Amino acid sequence: MKLRRVAPTNSGLRKPRAAIALAYAVLLVGVAVALVPFLYVLSTALKETTSLFSYPPDWIPSPVYWGNFESLLADHPFVRWTFNTLFVAGAVTALKLWFDSMAGYALAKMEFTGKRGVALLFLLSVAIPISALIIPLFFVIRYLGLLNTYWALILPPLANPLGIFMARSFIVSIPDDLEASARLDGASEFTIYRKIVLPLIRPGLVVLGMFTFMLQYTSLIWPLIAVQDSKRQVLAVGISGLQSAFLQDWGLLSAGMLLAAIPITVIFLVVQRAFVVNDLSGALKE
Amino acid sequence: MDSGGKSGDEKKQERKEREGNVAMSASEDVAVRLIQVAKSYGDVEVLQSFDLQVREGEFVVLLGPSGCGKSTILKLIAGLEEASYGEIHVAGELVNYVRPRDRNVAMVFQNYALYPHMSVRDNISFPLKMTRRPRIKRSAIDERTAEAAAIVNLTEFLDRKPGQLSGGQRQRVALARAIIRQPEVFLMDEPLSNLDALLRADMRASLLEVHARIQKATLYVTHDQIEAMTMADRVVVIKQGRTQQIGTPQELYTTPANTFVAQFIGSPKMAMHKTSVDGDGTVKFAGLSLKLNTDIKPEPKAAVTVGVRPSSLKIAAEPDRQACFAGTVERRDYVGSDSYLEVQLATGLHIVARTAADSWFAVGDIVHIAAEPGAFHLFDEVGNRLCGASMVMSDR
Repeated sequence: MKLRRVAPTNSGLRKPRAAIALAYAVLLVGVAVALVPFLYVLSTALKETTSLFSYPPDWIPSPVYWGNFESLLADHPFVRWTFNTLFVAGAVTALKLWFDSMAGYALAKMEFTGKRGVALLFLLSVAIPISALIIPLFFVIRYLGLLNTYWALILPPLANPLGIFMARSFIVSIPDDLEASARLDGASEFTIYRKIVLPLIRPGLVVLGMFTFMLQYTSLIWPLIAVQDSKRQVLAVGISGLQSAFLQDWGLLSAGMLLAAIPITVIFLVVQRAFVVNDLSGALKE
Repeated sequence: MDSGGKSGDEKKQERKEREGNVAMSASEDVAVRLIQVAKSYGDVEVLQSFDLQVREGEFVVLLGPSGCGKSTILKLIAGLEEASYGEIHVAGELVNYVRPRDRNVAMVFQNYALYPHMSVRDNISFPLKMTRRPRIKRSAIDERTAEAAAIVNLTEFLDRKPGQLSGGQRQRVALARAIIRQPEVFLMDEPLSNLDALLRADMRASLLEVHARIQKATLYVTHDQIEAMTMADRVVVIKQGRTQQIGTPQELYTTPANTFVAQFIGSPKMAMHKTSVDGDGTVKFAGLSLKLNTDIKPEPKAAVTVGVRPSSLKIAAEPDRQACFAGTVERRDYVGSDSYLEVQLATGLHIVARTAADSWFAVGDIVHIAAEPGAFHLFDEVGNRLCGASMVMSDR
């Protein structure tokens, strides 16, 4: 009997072309929505403000105009704002990660009187909107004599308990036997936190850190109120101050926004390698 | 063994006697002593008035079904849980209020509890690095780590992470981490429970080898009777937080203290038959009289339970001089080395008897069963052992 050769097919697995085309179309729309504003800002930053409103709009500046960047760096303390922002956001992130992870450890792994009450209080305070807190916060900071200082920018965000809950949820997932074992091995509570728990929740802390840093980096309302001194101002406040009631220098604003996006992009690219799944493999029986 | 329902005075008297016993044996080389230790979580009592002494170098297995409180006992000794009542002594010292790290005990956890971000070397040396006053020198730590790794054959894996090891190797890392502390007492909480059968047998041998080498008191928790019987110097059988029997594996098998121990030890389990004492003081089983091995005379008409192990019964095709009962084979379980036949006797009673693996008996066959002398166990109404018993042949 002659065997007939059957061509291998995977038609059952292959999606129809139309479905693929549709998926690409939807993705392209998504990319456009994300990219077009950015490209528009880039284009605006590289043009003179006078040529901004030409019709039809020139997407590609010709010739490229660097005056907005020169003006931003020469006439405004842009470098200082950048330093202030990085310093404040960095300090808040570092302190928050430290405090949140310690508080999270206590809530996740320690037994103490009033634990549920404390957790509930934290939870309730998450629900209070920042706008409701700004006026009392202003009075507290003024009372402490901290207005126009870095402390005015660093201390209030530390009281946000959201990070504690995030840290708690990371730490709860660590098996109790690991700490019990470390405790028997002679580790103190702080050593367990530092040598066992912190390394194991590192990916989670990176996410929390990025989240906190971004939030701080773009924070506008509170820094606007707490600091009037131009030397202590942060980027968001500084850039928003570039526009006045009478003059809207869109080119300058766009240049400011572009430059402000550079540090955070670089930081994100560097840190993203740490976004890996918490690896507990080998800790326990599988 | 159940002391429920005792009056306050009786309990006090019992406690005095127990304390007396403990005091008398205090001079012996006892590594762990638990005196009336109890543990409850809210209203739930997981451990009730538990007494135990483990001598130096002894391998004691805590055996019981899941949730019977055996792991809790280890946690109480380790200091990971606080006793609700009672005294815990390690190496002659009361440790109820001593921190876990200062109790001089090491524990191998049910889950290995290895630190996944550290290498095998760092996992093993962790307890030494944590030692303060006096701090241990780096060179000494390295030396002891290498020694501990060598004991459990892990020398070539020192630089790997736990995630890169097999189950058995991880278990050995956990063991090495316990060994390196040179503790007075080893606590092992079902360390082999998740390994496959072959590896488990190997690890049992390795554990015993290590134990023979370091000669330290070991408390080993398991629900696997094979592990208990093969490894233990003594076994403590626990049910619902109460000791049922403490004895050597042979004692548990041959003279179980109650029906729970009798059925928990041995596979297939002991067949039980509830009956009552005849007016003349004899006990009948499947219509035949039992000769009790002691002078105990059970109360006439008292309810008793008669138990018999499958391994104490022999099956023959033809009735012979020793055969006690005849019955019909209802089921045949082949287990490789033997076969077990479930036989329905003429009285309607079902018993299981062991026979050779290659025996030709089939379902429906009529067989004749003989019992070894002393094959029967007699338990009272609440299940406590009365005595052993043999079949009286003249009654046939």
